[in-house]
Amino acid sequence: MKAFILRRLIQIVVILFVILTVLFVLFRLAPGDPLTRMVDPNLTPEEANYLIAQLGLDQPLGTQYLIYLKNFFTGNFGYSFHYGRPVVQIIAQRLPNTILLFTTAVILAALVGISWGKIASWHKGKATDTLLTIAALVTHTLFLPWLALLMIWVFGYQLDLFPINGMISPEVWLNPQATFWDRGLDVLYHMALPLVTLFIMHFGSYLLVMRSAMLDTLKEDYIITARAKGLTEKAIRNHHAAPNAALPVVTSVGLSLAFSINGGALAETVFSWPGIGRELVFAVSNNDYPLAQASFLLIATVVLFSNLVVDVLYAWLDPRIRY
Amino acid sequence: MSTAADMTTTANMSLHSPWRRRLAESWHVFRGNLLGKIGLSLLCLFGLMAALSYVPQMIDPAIYHPMTGVDPLVGHAAPPSLRHWLGTDFMGRDILSQLLAGARVAFLVGVTAAFMSVALGVSIGMVSGYAGGWTDTVLMRLADMIMVMPTLLVILILSSLFGRLSIWTVVLLIAVFRWPGVSRVIRAQTLSLKQRPFIDAARVSGAGHGRIIFRHIMPNVLPLAFLYMTFRVTSAIVIEAALAFLGFGDPSTVSWGMMLQWVWKTGHMFQAPWWLLPPGICISLITLSFYMLGRAMDEVLDPRLRKSQQQAD
Amino acid sequence: MALLTVKDLSIGYQTPRGLLKAVEKVNFSLEAGQSLGLVGESGCGKTTIGMALMGLLPENGRVSGGSILLEGRDLVTTPEDEMRKIRWSQVAMIFQAAMNALNPVQRVCDQMAEAILVHRPEVGRREAMERVAELFDLVDLDRARMRDYPHQYSGGMKQRAIIAMALANQPRLIIADEPTTALDVVVQDQILEEIKRLQGKLNLGIIFISHDISIVEQMCHFIGVMYAGQLVESGTAREVFERPMHPYTQALIDSFPTLTGDKRLNPIPGEPPDLVGEIPGCRFCDRCPKPESSCRLEPPAWQEITPTHHVLCDHCEDY
Repeated sequence: MKAFILRRLIQIVVILFVILTVLFVLFRLAPGDPLTRMVDPNLTPEEANYLIAQLGLDQPLGTQYLIYLKNFFTGNFGYSFHYGRPVVQIIAQRLPNTILLFTTAVILAALVGISWGKIASWHKGKATDTLLTIAALVTHTLFLPWLALLMIWVFGYQLDLFPINGMISPEVWLNPQATFWDRGLDVLYHMALPLVTLFIMHFGSYLLVMRSAMLDTLKEDYIITARAKGLTEKAIRNHHAAPNAALPVVTSVGLSLAFSINGGALAETVFSWPGIGRELVFAVSNNDYPLAQASFLLIATVVLFSNLVVDVLYAWLDPRIRY
Repeated sequence: MSTAADMTTTANMSLHSPWRRRLAESWHVFRGNLLGKIGLSLLCLFGLMAALSYVPQMIDPAIYHPMTGVDPLVGHAAPPSLRHWLGTDFMGRDILSQLLAGARVAFLVGVTAAFMSVALGVSIGMVSGYAGGWTDTVLMRLADMIMVMPTLLVILILSSLFGRLSIWTVVLLIAVFRWPGVSRVIRAQTLSLKQRPFIDAARVSGAGHGRIIFRHIMPNVLPLAFLYMTFRVTSAIVIEAALAFLGFGDPSTVSWGMMLQWVWKTGHMFQAPWWLLPPGICISLITLSFYMLGRAMDEVLDPRLRKSQQQAD
Repeated sequence: MALLTVKDLSIGYQTPRGLLKAVEKVNFSLEAGQSLGLVGESGCGKTTIGMALMGLLPENGRVSGGSILLEGRDLVTTPEDEMRKIRWSQVAMIFQAAMNALNPVQRVCDQMAEAILVHRPEVGRREAMERVAELFDLVDLDRARMRDYPHQYSGGMKQRAIIAMALANQPRLIIADEPTTALDVVVQDQILEEIKRLQGKLNLGIIFISHDISIVEQMCHFIGVMYAGQLVESGTAREVFERPMHPYTQALIDSFPTLTGDKRLNPIPGEPPDLVGEIPGCRFCDRCPKPESSCRLEPPAWQEITPTHHVLCDHCEDY
């Protein structure tokens, strides 16, 4: 197991290197002066020179590359044009927000999708199954930004149940008497719509995978053994079929992570949730390259590590791999 | 199920060449699949929309052009009327024409990107599976790396470096980032085909590697490739729509994503449901119909999935 | 009262083409401590009988006639929740190790403990584990391997574990369905010895299902030869093996190679009949080396050779 994790970690580092290198190359190949892309023209000459020296933009290519790598691993991403602050500060603030929203949504969607998928396979061919399958099919082919807009329109505007943007209400957070509980609830209140949107988009595919995995598993020989032992149908499904059926679902979570991150960024943008995804989109619109590059690299790192977590989870769940 | 009709069909099928017979058999299975039929009908509907996209301009180019249409009577977002069946957007442009044009773009983008990514994936998969060794390892590692990347965000960062991307660049990029999925499957198939005697026969008769790959292996992997193309089409359409929605689309093309961008950015999303709803419904429906079609074709290709088979013990 | 009495048992499967008569009017009985070997080729119905004895017929299978009396109680009419209690506590099954009979994501000891706890939940986990350890000793498995997963076991070990699991609740009757197929001959021998020893020790009744008549001959007190869903010959092992009466039994014994004697393999030509629909006469007559004209028209009668030896043939002769 440890060897497995180590191998995967090395793979991640290699991939990161490749991405960094490709970006570096493209950065130099792209039209226009690379200097203006990384250094805000509004800086004073002293500040500009300092930054240039830090980023090594005046050095020969080879040295520049090394400085570039060193900067990545020490967290020096330059200055954001738009915010006028070090990029690393901005993305450090944004990252937890994304993780909060995204992780909660994926876990919720997975848990519900898996359990409803199990139920659907239980009642195969009957009304419950048809209903759940149709619901899954329809929801996971929806266009996320559109669903997000609809949610805002219906729940935020028409019914006025939820705030239509942002993560916090300034009144609550600026109030010195607000407790941790107050603030927490406020965040949850703002998170409700984006969370539900992401959940709706993602539970469908987990449901469908679990359903077909259960149907396949129920044909296996050890299910006959379990039945022969005198177990009830319910016990067979929950203790024997489901743990085996969960394995392909975990794989499918891993495979769909990249796709889910796309969705996460879109949701953040539409709901104005201050996360890394939204920051990337804004940075690209504002031609704020240092921020865009850093946001992208951070997202890539997060995706790679999420993949690792999923793989480890799979290895842990399947004793044939663990031993 | 042996009915007289089935018997005649089987009898007829044996008269044609094996290729035609397979096609007829596939059609027979496909016909029994409800999802596939619904999917196919919906896609025909969208195809019709795409074809009809040229009509509004023929009626009155000045008023009904999706991008530049100007209606002297309506200069703002107006609900559906006899003049404009789906209403107008904030500039008075006809929404129905935009929707039809969007269908055309969706098919164009979807099919081209899917075709390119499958062509790439099939070639790489075949070469990788056939060659084995270092070529295989390198190509599959490359595939792994690309597969991990979120396509939309990669295109975003590239557009921040290279400026606004044209629609064809976007199509190319989508193809470049979506081939790994196909290539893995094709590689697996190639590996199993490689062992078959007919490949040895070809090699013995002096066929070079290229010829073996393209004349002998390719025809056998194509059905699978075709299946995967249906799934690629949807992802291409969705990625293009998302890019357009975020404001990074090609400004000279009217796509459904672009329509959503306009309704969002001009602040009309709360007031103009006739504008907000149609493009989103179209994107979602076309994705759904390709997915249903893909599932039906899956059943055609993989006999184990067919519901009509029942086995006695 | 006999441990097991099967009377006129008929089982059918609903298929799209019609009712497939997998088992037709089979009769046999068994006492405690005795073993009956059911032999025949694939599709002859022996596994179907085994599954019916456990009440494990698939969805489209049904007992269409007859009775299965386990210590006087008819399992055919027993409702499902009662059957669940009987399964594994009175009658248990030994599956092929080659199958995926053990759950790959559960530890072997947990699966075996489950067999105990399902029927006696009051026992508690600790005591169940002790019992599992005893079972391991019983089948000569190393206790240290208890907490392993099935994929870590060899074929022979898996088979022993499956046997141990079947014995968990000290059942009266064991149905062994091809327990040594797919094991190599050395291990096969060990397993068969094991089963024999356990039978003697625990006074088990065993139904031994196999396609290999030579194994059955060495393991069982009685042999029942099945063909196309019918029992065509039954008797003590010695009787059936040394004086086979039915042409199929003779061909079956002939078709297995022996160390001495004829080196050629003698397969039985032809195929079993289609079991959907009516078959008027003898089911074997298409492959019989000496059919008579009446064989095709009239079903054969169950003839007695000795009080223990019977055959389903009107025209068999002593060879």
